[in-house]
Amino acid sequence: MQIQESIYHLWINSTKDKSVDLLAKYNERKPFNKTSFAIKITLIALLILTIYSFYTFDYKNLIIIDAVKDTLINMRTMFFGASLRNFTILEGIRQVSFTLGIAFLATLTGGISAFFLGLLAAQNLSTKLVSNVVKGFVSFVRAVPTVLWVLIFAVSIGLGSTAAVVGLTFHSFGYLLKAFSESFEELDHGVIEALTACGANWWQIVFQAVVPSSLSYLLAWTFIRFEINFVEAVAVGAAAGAGGIGFELFMASARYFNIREVGAITFLILAVAIILELTSSRIKTKFIK
Amino acid sequence: MNPLLTINSLKKQYDEETVALNGVSFSVHEGEFVSIIGPSGAGKSTLLRCINRIIDATEGEILFDGLNVGNQNKGQLRKLRTKIGMIFQHYNLVNRLSVIENVLHGRLGYKNTFNGSLGLFTAQEKKQAFQIIEILGLEKQAYKRCDQLSGGQKQRVGIARALIQEPRMMLCDEPIASLDPNASKIIMDHLKNITTQMGITCLVNLHQVNVALKYSDRIIGIKHGLKVYDGPPKSITKNQIYDIYESEAGELILELKDQNEA
Repeated sequence: MQIQESIYHLWINSTKDKSVDLLAKYNERKPFNKTSFAIKITLIALLILTIYSFYTFDYKNLIIIDAVKDTLINMRTMFFGASLRNFTILEGIRQVSFTLGIAFLATLTGGISAFFLGLLAAQNLSTKLVSNVVKGFVSFVRAVPTVLWVLIFAVSIGLGSTAAVVGLTFHSFGYLLKAFSESFEELDHGVIEALTACGANWWQIVFQAVVPSSLSYLLAWTFIRFEINFVEAVAVGAAAGAGGIGFELFMASARYFNIREVGAITFLILAVAIILELTSSRIKTKFIK
Repeated sequence: MNPLLTINSLKKQYDEETVALNGVSFSVHEGEFVSIIGPSGAGKSTLLRCINRIIDATEGEILFDGLNVGNQNKGQLRKLRTKIGMIFQHYNLVNRLSVIENVLHGRLGYKNTFNGSLGLFTAQEKKQAFQIIEILGLEKQAYKRCDQLSGGQKQRVGIARALIQEPRMMLCDEPIASLDPNASKIIMDHLKNITTQMGITCLVNLHQVNVALKYSDRIIGIKHGLKVYDGPPKSITKNQIYDIYESEAGELILELKDQNEA
């Protein structure tokens, strides 16, 4: 045992000088790391800002514990004591279908225009120049938030459901075009080549190869956008006076301060969202094989 | 008899450095089975794609059935392409469609935009499609989706799609490069039958020298964008093959018959 140990030490000692040199070299060569430095600085800055802001909040004699308690009581009244006062459940469903109508129209018009311009934006079906121009234009469309689009059109069309549909259409168009053109680009270039070799022209290739190959993606994306548009239509109903369930929600909360009604409307919207989700997954399993 | 296809000093340059073809000339007569061999990157695929102008040649002239391929306008080019069938290494089928739908794609060149886009094919065309499917032994798979087929079956669908064009020539771009030996033999036998029984000229890019020697009436060797051999398979020597592939003698897996030793 002892002999073994001594041999080990002897061996280690014999390499010691070399390893120290290597270690020194390693420490020396370790370069200044920009990324980790930036991350450290950011974290420290955030920490300082957080502490500073908590010190300087204007709490207006707010007692945190009471505030939390009151909020919870409000939530309980809202969701467990939900009831309608200013309109009936049938009227509520009518308003929800109005909101769904806005979302549907916006998805339909946005989707159809996104399909055709998406073909021009797909690099395998278009030229590089056209594709880049369309993509650039559309990223501008997409950069503007939906509500802002609605307000922009509210200026020219006037507040109401028309402005909501047009505004939502614009953002849906920008969103779906990106999704569609990327689905089109998934198609193997060889397939396009093969149909070209058969003498097929551009439209024939689009409808005989591109659409069948990407149909399930197109449906999935369109349905996701429909769900998003429904939620946006609720928000826009309040913000741009477009009507529908969003407007009732706005009235119940900001005008009548009736939190029970807010709760009831929230449940109604949630129910519709769940139904949409279930329908979309049904459609997806049917079409996406 | 005039040749079906004449290629005169064909050049294709992709950019300043990449020269795929550097002046290739040959002609192919009706009913010939010609194999093009050569290492990867020699320009074989580019050559085939220049013939039906999927790729535009930089220089040179291609005459197909007396027509100058380079001078055709859009409509004329579609018509010309219907006369040239093409099959590919990766089959290039629309995987989500059925076999019969893929075969009918071969008729698109004959249809106007509306009928072609909507897939409105005549009863005659459908009948013809089923006949071809039967000849190639795919009748059990006719309604299957193409992504459920094996490689050999997919390639037969590719051949069916080319045959329904009623072509005068078939361009085959490495048709058996992704297939096992058994499927390869079936595909090559079909291609040979197409030439001998239907009189359709075949121009085949091949990597398998043995297969090329066995099936072809003529071999064309391509290296660095230049034609280095053109003649019957019987007279090609081992050394010439080694030269085409730029390898030392004995490095290639070859089983030449003794007659070709030189």
